[in-house]
Amino acid sequence: MKKAIIFGISGQDGAFLSKILLEKGYQVVGVSRNINNNSFVNLKRVKAWGHIELISCSMLDFDSVFKLVEKNTPDEIYDLSGQSSVALSFKKPVETYESISIANMNLLEVLRRINGSIKLFNAGSSECFGNTQGKAATENTPFFPRSPYAVAKASACFQTANYREAYKLFACTGILFNHESFLRPETFVTRKIVNTACRIFRGSNEKLVLGNISIERDWGWAPEYVNAMWLMLQQEKPDDFVIATGRTCQLEQFIISVFETLGLNWKNHLETDKKYLRPADIKRVKANPAKAEKLLKWKAEYTTCDVARLMVEAELQTAPVKQ
Amino acid sequence: MKRALITGITGQDGAYLTEFLIQKGYEVHGIKRRASLFNTQRIDHLYQEEHVKNRKLILHYGDLTDASNLVRIIQKVQPDEVYNLAAQSHVAVSFEAPEYTSDTNAMGTLRLLEAIKMLGLVEKCRFYQASTSELFGKVKETPQNEETPFHPRSPYSVAKLYAYWIVVNYREAYGLYACNGILFNHESPLRGETFVTRKITRALARIFLGLKKFVSLGNLDAKRDWGHAKDYVEMQWLMLQQNNPDDFVIATGVQHSVREFVELAANELGILLKWEGEGVDEKGIVDRIKPSKIEQRQNLDLGQKANILKPGDVIVRVDPRYFRPAEVKTLLGDPAKAKNMLGWEPRISFENMIQEMIQYDLEEAQRDHLCKQEGFKVCNFYE
Repeated sequence: MKKAIIFGISGQDGAFLSKILLEKGYQVVGVSRNINNNSFVNLKRVKAWGHIELISCSMLDFDSVFKLVEKNTPDEIYDLSGQSSVALSFKKPVETYESISIANMNLLEVLRRINGSIKLFNAGSSECFGNTQGKAATENTPFFPRSPYAVAKASACFQTANYREAYKLFACTGILFNHESFLRPETFVTRKIVNTACRIFRGSNEKLVLGNISIERDWGWAPEYVNAMWLMLQQEKPDDFVIATGRTCQLEQFIISVFETLGLNWKNHLETDKKYLRPADIKRVKANPAKAEKLLKWKAEYTTCDVARLMVEAELQTAPVKQ
Repeated sequence: MKRALITGITGQDGAYLTEFLIQKGYEVHGIKRRASLFNTQRIDHLYQEEHVKNRKLILHYGDLTDASNLVRIIQKVQPDEVYNLAAQSHVAVSFEAPEYTSDTNAMGTLRLLEAIKMLGLVEKCRFYQASTSELFGKVKETPQNEETPFHPRSPYSVAKLYAYWIVVNYREAYGLYACNGILFNHESPLRGETFVTRKITRALARIFLGLKKFVSLGNLDAKRDWGHAKDYVEMQWLMLQQNNPDDFVIATGVQHSVREFVELAANELGILLKWEGEGVDEKGIVDRIKPSKIEQRQNLDLGQKANILKPGDVIVRVDPRYFRPAEVKTLLGDPAKAKNMLGWEPRISFENMIQEMIQYDLEEAQRDHLCKQEGFKVCNFYE
């Protein structure tokens, strides 16, 4: 039986990845900073709770990471941990760097010491590309990071490539474009839109307050993306892959899809506020996931409009929360 | 009067920049790390004692890994310009100490930027970041310019990549006047003794006087664009005197191999080399000895007096210990932008730089040779 360790088990991707690895017959070890101070709602919602071993470990502590990996002898490690909010990274750049880049380095150093056969997946980010303008980003597109979050992710991506080149580690970065689901926290714009719209649908007279709604992103469905992570570690050779739908869409379109699913007119409920604008924002992001399609045989089935609909449906199934 | 704060003031660039800025009328503040050994040799000639009035050079104890210390120093100095030259600057060592390298080079830069922002100095203070040609690593095109994508090949350059982009980010996000100087290799007699150029000139001078048998090097075919540090610090200052902040490649636009560097340096001492063998078995052998250029210029007779070297002696060897886990084979800069926009061009040629380095190291070797002859202890400084 194969064994995998997932760092960042409590997040959206950690939950979905646990689920598919359990389905594939893996023994899964999940790591979080403090498992006693975490309700693991995401794991519970995907029904992975109770089927995986949970361990507390700070990735900033090399000794702890070393002992954890040495003791558990995994076949695969997935590093999904890290401060994940772009907006927050402007307020907490140091913590962002440590949780992304130093954590990644500690893992790479552990693998360099222990055993060359452990495979590592590093969660990269499309934020590294910055404004891709009209061109679709591939694995060869130069980075132009525009937030402390993206700069940290860029450094972790190159770090992973450097350890692969220098020490022949099986280490890959998946350059993941936005991927959403009902497990996204409400600090992410997609979930905020869905939840607010659902509350309005249920009778709330609040407004949906957003920053810039003309930004363009490639939003995919997270449960599909974790499968791409797994596929990357099943290849003959380690490599980096862009993971995206390949179809870019405006935030406005996402908003329209959400309100249409609920039979509402979005224009009656939206307000914009400058306080949600970022110090340096990315206007347009476009992806070309051709390499993943060719080598991993992976292709996103759900479009951004599907994602909006699926998120609304999931939200309506949960009991309404009093504000 | 302008005030500048230099991190890494005890290093090669720090020393040249301090001298340059003092000449420009600046009050220069520098941060030095506490060490059990003296580490201010390079700025010894500029140092002024505490009791001197209106001092032009003031040193502060500090470290890029200590955020509160940096905040305190910047608050006290209120600098008009900050030059971030401090770093774990050795590529090979970064493979051994990656976390320290990252803490200093990447997070150290972030700590400085945060300190400037936190203290409300974004409008007043200009920031220079010592970026590096190592960012290009496995080069995507030749020569490399400001548009060439990066591919770092060491923990050193990955950390410098973070520093590069976080500087760009603070410029874009907060309007800080912040610039990256993407400097290609720059050398001088003040270069650290474990960097390949200085290692070569220092070793050859000592071999010439019989203080050492041979020198061990890594990849002889590595190609670099080598300029003189004294030329390059002037550009660092120029970048902060423009109307708008920007990033610049600083290079000579000429490339040489390590092998060529060895040959030219040896030739300066009158040693003609021939190469035999391949790969790790390659050796640099003394082919012929002629009167050295330095001896002729200074009317000396050092080598002959020492009477140590003879044709057939192996004085250069290859040691895989100096290979890097991931090599950077070739770097060549295109300094057109700096030339056009800053009016900057390097003045000191490659040959003159080697001449200066050999002369400096020969004087040091002479001093050691003399001490040894008179029975005083001489350090080898093993790597």
